[in-house]
Amino acid sequence: MREKSIPIAGRVVLVIAIICMLLWVLFPFYWAFLNSIKKPAETFEPTWVPFLQFQPTLEHWRSELAIPETRRALLNSTIISIGAATLAVVLGTLAAYALARFQFNRPQNGTLTTWFLSQRVLPPVVFVIPFFLLMRQLKLLDSVWSLVLLNATFTLPFPVIILSQMFRELPKELEEAALVDGATRFQSFFRVALPLVVPGLVATWIICMAFSWNEFLFALTLTSQSAIPMPVIIAGAEHTRGVQFWYVGVRVLLTMLPPVILALLAQRYIVRGLTLGAVKG
Amino acid sequence: MAETTGPLQPTQDGTDAVPAAKGVGTRTDRTKAIFLGPAAIWVLAFTIFPLLYAGPRKMASFRYGKINQFVGLGNFARLFRDSNLHTALRVTLVFVVSTVALEMILGFALALLLNREIRGKNTLRAIMTLPLFATPVAMGYLGITMYYEQNGPINSLIRALGGDIVPWLSNPFWALVAVIIVDLWQWTPFVFLVSIAALQGLPLDLYEAAQVDGASGFDLFRYVTLPLMLPTLWLILLLRLVEAFKVFDVPISLTLGGPGRATEVYSLFTYRTALRFFNHGYAAAQGFLLLFIVMLMVSLLFGRIREIYE
Repeated sequence: MREKSIPIAGRVVLVIAIICMLLWVLFPFYWAFLNSIKKPAETFEPTWVPFLQFQPTLEHWRSELAIPETRRALLNSTIISIGAATLAVVLGTLAAYALARFQFNRPQNGTLTTWFLSQRVLPPVVFVIPFFLLMRQLKLLDSVWSLVLLNATFTLPFPVIILSQMFRELPKELEEAALVDGATRFQSFFRVALPLVVPGLVATWIICMAFSWNEFLFALTLTSQSAIPMPVIIAGAEHTRGVQFWYVGVRVLLTMLPPVILALLAQRYIVRGLTLGAVKG
Repeated sequence: MAETTGPLQPTQDGTDAVPAAKGVGTRTDRTKAIFLGPAAIWVLAFTIFPLLYAGPRKMASFRYGKINQFVGLGNFARLFRDSNLHTALRVTLVFVVSTVALEMILGFALALLLNREIRGKNTLRAIMTLPLFATPVAMGYLGITMYYEQNGPINSLIRALGGDIVPWLSNPFWALVAVIIVDLWQWTPFVFLVSIAALQGLPLDLYEAAQVDGASGFDLFRYVTLPLMLPTLWLILLLRLVEAFKVFDVPISLTLGGPGRATEVYSLFTYRTALRFFNHGYAAAQGFLLLFIVMLMVSLLFGRIREIYE
């Protein structure tokens, strides 16, 4: 970036660094994939290329996907992540617009923003018992809806912070024109402001979805049977027959791929999202 | 009335046509409440309310199958005597300090190294986001196979390089190292991505000016890059510290806190107190101690952070 020509030695270091980095990041995924398509007896052999070194099999994928608990967990995880992300984005977008466009006095905008941010600072384990007791009272133990509610709560800071900055970056004149023309605040929000932040909205939704999918502590404490999502299935996989590398591979990929693929789609907004808006990616 | 006009209305003297047309005051207040209200009520209902709801229990020795008795501050006093808790605190501190320090150094160094025009830069960044979203529990579970002592890929590599087999998950020291490595894998890319995004946003003319003045490579870093990057680095530090203190998923899936209590981090310890031993009162007290530690840390760093967000 700064200098045009990098000396050869520097370039070699750079290439080696990049290769190491890629190997380091990608190896676990490849290892999981490799094990998932190997026959049990082959998992300990140092073979790395399917078809050339060994004959791949989809047998483990088929048998894992045939297990009713796994299918149910995939369905539960889908409901939880879509539900929570949608709730968080709807609530968060409205709040974000309020923080960007209105002046609050008691408490002030800055304090309100900090308050929303603080949801991500609180250690979740503090909430384990309070939520357990609350959900028991609400008869929502072992229900996907309890996890929808909780994940919406804990991912709410993402839409609030990211979208309030996006609304602030929109030119005010557009909305002022609409208001002067007699539009209500709601009309100018829905017709003018909202359509302009759709890309950010989608990216935020994806980030919330991925986080809700990956959430483990509450999923573990609040579900027992019918509402169990993927992360709990994977952690509960028993080791009675020793570690079955091939099933580990399948389960790990089944659990990880949805959020990882979603993250690639939200790529442009990841940095902004994960720094809660402080750094533009 | 001046108080209720939003920033959209440029003047505070009420001459603006917009609020007048909308019936001013109460109307704007209601609009504001409709936009902010749902989220605010939601947060109150699902974070503050449950804490208050469970509050009285931290004062009681609340245990299923036992008669409730009020123990006052007994649960808090116990925090200072419980040596298992102190072990958990120590393990957590070792974990937090080593992961955050290593991630910041590695991630920032990589960002500095790669902050130039490289072919496939976007692909590289895309690949670096993958670990951030990989389910932590899945990584812990996958780790069991990767750290496998006999013929696992990591030990195979070490042996190929001429080293001895490392007892990853059966030795207290190495088990903690194993947990730390998984965290490094997952979060070094975060430091890298944020650093490189911030580096690319730095004003180029400052560098040109410094170069005209004859600044060398290291001077550029020491007197231009570093000061400009400092706010971002503080922010990353805070975000990583906060997240590192929450660590739970990887230890419980990779090592179950073992061997012994070698990787029993704070959250895992509290989780067990609450749901393995059903001592809700004591677990709540532990939770408040953790909350206190994290809040203390955040408020110490907060001055810096406020500058960044404002």
